[in-house]
Amino acid sequence: MKIAEGLKIIENQWIQKPKGFRVKYQKFVNLERLTEYSPGKEDSLLDSDVTAWRYAWKLFMSTRSKSNDIAEGEFINIGVVDESDHPVHYYVTGKNQVLNPK
Amino acid sequence: MESQLAKLRDLADLLTQHGPQLVMGLIIIIGGVLLIKQIMRSLRANLAKLSKNAATVSIVVNTVGVILLSIVITASAIEIGAKPARVVAVLMFLSLIAIGIVVIFRPLMPTLPFKAGNTVKIGELLGKVETVSILNTRLRTFDGKTFFVPNRKILDDIVINYHFTNTRQIKINITIRYDQNLLQAKQVLEVVMIGDPRILAKPSPAVYVLNLNGNGVEIGARCWVDNKKYWAAKCDLTEKIKTAFDFNGIAFAHPQLDIRHYTENNAFKCEDQPAKEKIES
Repeated sequence: MKIAEGLKIIENQWIQKPKGFRVKYQKFVNLERLTEYSPGKEDSLLDSDVTAWRYAWKLFMSTRSKSNDIAEGEFINIGVVDESDHPVHYYVTGKNQVLNPK
Repeated sequence: MESQLAKLRDLADLLTQHGPQLVMGLIIIIGGVLLIKQIMRSLRANLAKLSKNAATVSIVVNTVGVILLSIVITASAIEIGAKPARVVAVLMFLSLIAIGIVVIFRPLMPTLPFKAGNTVKIGELLGKVETVSILNTRLRTFDGKTFFVPNRKILDDIVINYHFTNTRQIKINITIRYDQNLLQAKQVLEVVMIGDPRILAKPSPAVYVLNLNGNGVEIGARCWVDNKKYWAAKCDLTEKIKTAFDFNGIAFAHPQLDIRHYTENNAFKCEDQPAKEKIES
């Protein structure tokens, strides 16, 4: 096998390089649980997972409610996903992270 | 004395006859120049919103300014009493001379190695070039300060133009303790770099063992990124390397100092060493 072919295998199969990141969250609107993304699916992705996680954390801090119940407009199950909607590991812990799990 | 008085009388007659036209001509010139400045300022601001290319905006604004100035000078000259055709001919003649001088002496004129909109480092100054005039260059630093740098200083100094190439290399050097897993550290660095979408695949990211220092092993991470994304990517990579090393249990090296102390009664001998104290700072 030529080195170029070997490098291609490594590139495609060892580390998945995402094209970008989005913040995925759910919220209750009229008793209905909606899943939304920011930036939206029609918009360009964020190119930094550090930025995406920071953004997710700010959304969580801005919309969280003090009670255990889900308030109207509260963002729950906030996480970061890639372009294929796969969850992206939180870079600080190396594991999946969901902010405000409810 | 007589001739001086005669000259003064002639001047007084001239002013009496043509005074109002001269004043009107001056008003047109002064008012016109002030108006042109205002027009150029607002045109520059509006064009900057439409086009990110600062050089193009500058050319368009300056062209409009020159045309308007010619109109103002022509109007003023006509008001004073000059014939329009002659005024236009003189202006055309002067323009051709100016163009000829520029064309002939262009190869001999020193040019600055950047244009408006480029990010440059001139000596110790790092910032974005806002405008380039004949005498100086206006540079805006990233903390909001504006510097007017004389062009002759720029020509004598080393200038780094960060826009000359499209890509730039990120270099991050870290030092780990000797008792840490070097191969794991290299792998972690490589994974962090490859997993960032901004890092270019070619040239591929690489990790090198640079030095065996007194306090640890120095490793260098090298990768390439688009020029515009350099700063954000470098800061993010530095943060991700630190957190990745933390959750992989790889310790960074710190400067270390071994201190041995002994008293008069307990003189230091090879077979009877006092306790070593390590102070890690």
